Amino acid sequence: MIMTWYAILSFILTAFILLEGFDIGGGTLLYVVGKTDAERRGVIAAIGPLLSWNEVWLVSFGGTLLLAFPAVLASSFAGFYLALCLLLWMLLVRGISLEVSGHVDDPLWRAAWNTCFVVSNTLLAILIGIALGNILRGVPIGPDGTFALSLFTNFSPRGDVGILDWYTFSTAIFILIAFAAHGTTVLMRKTDGPVNKRCAQYAVLFWKVAIISLVMVTVESFFVHVDLITRPFVEPSGWLGLVCIAFGLVNLARGLRKQRATQAGIGSYALIAGLMIVGATAIFPFMLRSTISPQYSLSAYKAAADAHGLVIGLVWWPFALLLSLAYFWFIYRNYRAKAYHVT
Amino acid sequence: MDDVIFWSRLQFAFTATFHYLFPQLTMGLAWFIVYFKWQHLRGGDERYGNAARFWSRIFGLNFAVGVVTGIPLEFQFGTNWAAFSKYSGNVIGQTLAMEGMFAFFLESALVGAMVLGEQWLGPRKHFLATIGVAVGSWLSAYFILTTNAFMQHPVGYASAADGSLRLESPSDFLLNPWGLVMFLHNQSAALVTSSFVVASVGAFYTLRNMHFHQAAIYLRTGTLVGLVSSLLVAFPTGDRQAKMVARYQPAALAGMEGRFHGGSEAEINFIGQPNVGAQRLDNPIYMPGLLSILAFGHRNASVQGLDAFPKSQWPTNVDLLYYSFHVMAGLGTLFILLMAIAVIQRWRGRLETSRGILWVLMLAFPFPYIATTAGWMTAELGRQPWLVYGLFATNHGVSAVVNGGNVLFTLIGFSGLYFVLGLLFLFLVAREIAHGPSDPSSQGPREASNDYDLVRDPLVYSDRVHSA
Repeated sequence: MIMTWYAILSFILTAFILLEGFDIGGGTLLYVVGKTDAERRGVIAAIGPLLSWNEVWLVSFGGTLLLAFPAVLASSFAGFYLALCLLLWMLLVRGISLEVSGHVDDPLWRAAWNTCFVVSNTLLAILIGIALGNILRGVPIGPDGTFALSLFTNFSPRGDVGILDWYTFSTAIFILIAFAAHGTTVLMRKTDGPVNKRCAQYAVLFWKVAIISLVMVTVESFFVHVDLITRPFVEPSGWLGLVCIAFGLVNLARGLRKQRATQAGIGSYALIAGLMIVGATAIFPFMLRSTISPQYSLSAYKAAADAHGLVIGLVWWPFALLLSLAYFWFIYRNYRAKAYHVT
Repeated sequence: MDDVIFWSRLQFAFTATFHYLFPQLTMGLAWFIVYFKWQHLRGGDERYGNAARFWSRIFGLNFAVGVVTGIPLEFQFGTNWAAFSKYSGNVIGQTLAMEGMFAFFLESALVGAMVLGEQWLGPRKHFLATIGVAVGSWLSAYFILTTNAFMQHPVGYASAADGSLRLESPSDFLLNPWGLVMFLHNQSAALVTSSFVVASVGAFYTLRNMHFHQAAIYLRTGTLVGLVSSLLVAFPTGDRQAKMVARYQPAALAGMEGRFHGGSEAEINFIGQPNVGAQRLDNPIYMPGLLSILAFGHRNASVQGLDAFPKSQWPTNVDLLYYSFHVMAGLGTLFILLMAIAVIQRWRGRLETSRGILWVLMLAFPFPYIATTAGWMTAELGRQPWLVYGLFATNHGVSAVVNGGNVLFTLIGFSGLYFVLGLLFLFLVAREIAHGPSDPSSQGPREASNDYDLVRDPLVYSDRVHSA
C-alpha cells in the first residue's frame, strides 16, 4: 500500500517534470530560439495551450502528498518556506505573462511580458533543480521530524546543510540545462521554419552539456550518498529506470543525428523519466533523509497516513487519472486535427 | 512582531479573499456562456454567438487570475499550517487531491478550447468544452467546500493512534450536510455575482447607446438570473445555513448577532454596534423573536448568548464577525429588492428607458463581491478559535519552524504581486468591455485581430501551417 502511494507520487512528479520541463525549457529559451516577434509568438503558441494542464500535476502532487504522507508535506513545505514561496511567485508571474502578453498589440508590452516569462521560467528551472538536489541529499531533520533550512551554511552537503551547497548547485545547473535541452527537443516537433532549425541545433548543444553535467552530478552523488548510485542497480524499479535511460539516450542520439523530431522527442522524454525513476528508487524508503542522523529520517513507512484512508484513495485515484488523460487526449487530438486540416 | 499565528492567518485570509474574487465570477459566468452557446447552437442566432464570445474573453481573464492565485492557497496548507496538515492530512488530503485530479485537469484542459477554440472545435464540441469547464469549476467548488465543511463541522473521521485524524467514512465526509448546504449557498452567491456583472455591462451599454442587441440580452438574462439566485441565496440556502450554525456553532451565531446575553424570544438586530468591553449592542434596531424563529423555528425558542460560553471559546474577533454577517445579510436583502424592481420594469417593457435603475444596475456590480467576501469572513471568523471545530485549535495549527518575520516577508510579497495583478486585471477587463462584443451585423466568429490574445491565436497556427 505504502509502496503503491510512493509510486503514484513518483509518477505524478515525473509527469510534472516531463511536461513542465518542456514548458519551462522552451520558456527559458524564448529569445534564443525565437529571433523575431512572430517566431516568439510561434514558440509561445506551442507552449501555451497545455501549460495550465501541465501545471495541475504540481497541484495534484501537493494534494496527493497531503493525502498519503501528511508528515512529509508538513515537514518539507514548512522547511522550504521561503524557497517554496519564491516558486509560487514565479509560477504566478509565468502564468500571467503568458496570458496577457498577447492582449495588447504593442511591442513594448509584449517585450516586457516576454521578459517576465523568460526570467520566471529560468528561476523555476533553478528552483526545481535545487529542490530535487535537496531531496537527493537530505535535509537537517531533527528528532521532532521538522527542519528549517537556511539558504546556505558552509556549502557542504553534510550535517547542518543549507538549501544551497555545491551538490544542489550542481543539480540546479543540470536541471536548467536539461530542461533547455528537453524544451528545444520537444519544440522541434511543434515548430517549423527557422525556429525548428535553431531548436535542432541547440538541442544537440544543450544535450551535450546536459550529459556532461549529468556525469558530474552522478559522480558527486557517489560522494554524497553511495547508495544513491548503488541502490538503482539492485532494485527492479531501478533496472526499469536504467533501461529507460539507455533507451532514451539511444533514441535521442539517433533522432538528433538524423533530424527525426519524434524519435528525439521520445528519447528526451524517456531519458528524463528514467532519471526520475532511478532517483525515486535511489532514495526509497526515505522521502526526507536526515543529514544529521539516519534515525531521524522520514521514511515512507514512518510518514504514511492511516491505511484506511490510503485504501479509499486508491479506489478513486486510478479512475481520476483515466479521466484526466481523456481530457488531455480530447484537446491534444483536436489541436492536431486543426493543424492538419488547414494544411 | 514575531506573531506567526497572526501573520499566517492574515496571509491566508488575504490570499484567499483575493483569489475568490475571480472564481466567484467564473463559476456563474460559465453557465451564462453555456446558455448563450446553447441558444446559438439551437437557433443559429448570431447575437447569442457574439454574447458567448464576448463573455468568454472576460471569463478567460478571470480564469487565468483565478488559477495563478489559487495555487498558493493549496501550498499554504503545508508552508504555513504544517501542524494542521499533519493532523488532518489523511482526511482533507482526499478532497484536495480529488479537486486536482477530478476538477483542475478538466478545467485546465478545456478552458483554452472554450475561450479560443471555437473555430478549431466546431460548434458541438465547443459547446461540450464549455459545459466541461462549467462542470469542472463547480466540481472544484464542491471539493474545496467539503474540505472547509470538515473544518466547520467535522464528520466521518476517527482518531488515529498517533493523535492525528484518519478518514473513517468517506461517504459521511463527502456528503457532510454542512458542505451540501454551504455548496448551494455559495454557488447561488456565485450566480448572483455573475448576474450582477452581466447586468451591469448591459446597463452600461444601454446608457451609452452602444451594442443595443447585446445589451438587451445581458439585461434580460442578468436581471432574471439575478433575481432567482438572490432569492436562493436567502432562502432556502441562507436559512438552512443559519440553522446549521445555530445547531452546531452556537457561539458563532451569538457573535454574528452581537448577542451577549441569551434568552428566549431572541431578537434579530438590523442595526447596532457591538461593544465587546461593555458586553452589549449599542443603538440596536431590532425585531424581537425573529432570531428564535429563524434559528429554531418558533418564537419562544431560547437562543444562547456569548455569556453561555467561557471567553476562551468565543470567536476571537466578535466585532468583525458581527459586521461581516450584517454586511452580507443586508446586502443580500438589497440585491433581492434591486433585481425584483429591475425584473418588474423589464416585464413592463420599461427597463431600457428607466435611466435611474440602469444607473444603479451599472454601479451595483462591486457589491456582490463585498457580500461574498463578508459571507466568507462570517464563516471563517465564526469558526474561531478552532481550525477544526471543537477538535483542533487555530493556535496549534501553524508551522513550528516558520517564524513571524518569514510570513511577514511573504505577505508583503503577495500584497505587492496581487496589487499589480489587480491593476493589470482591471486594465485588461476595462479594455475588453470598452472594445465590446462584435457588431450584430458581422456574422461568424470574430477574425483574430492583432490586439487580442496572440498567445493561442488562430493566426499563429495558420502562419505556422502556411509556412510549412
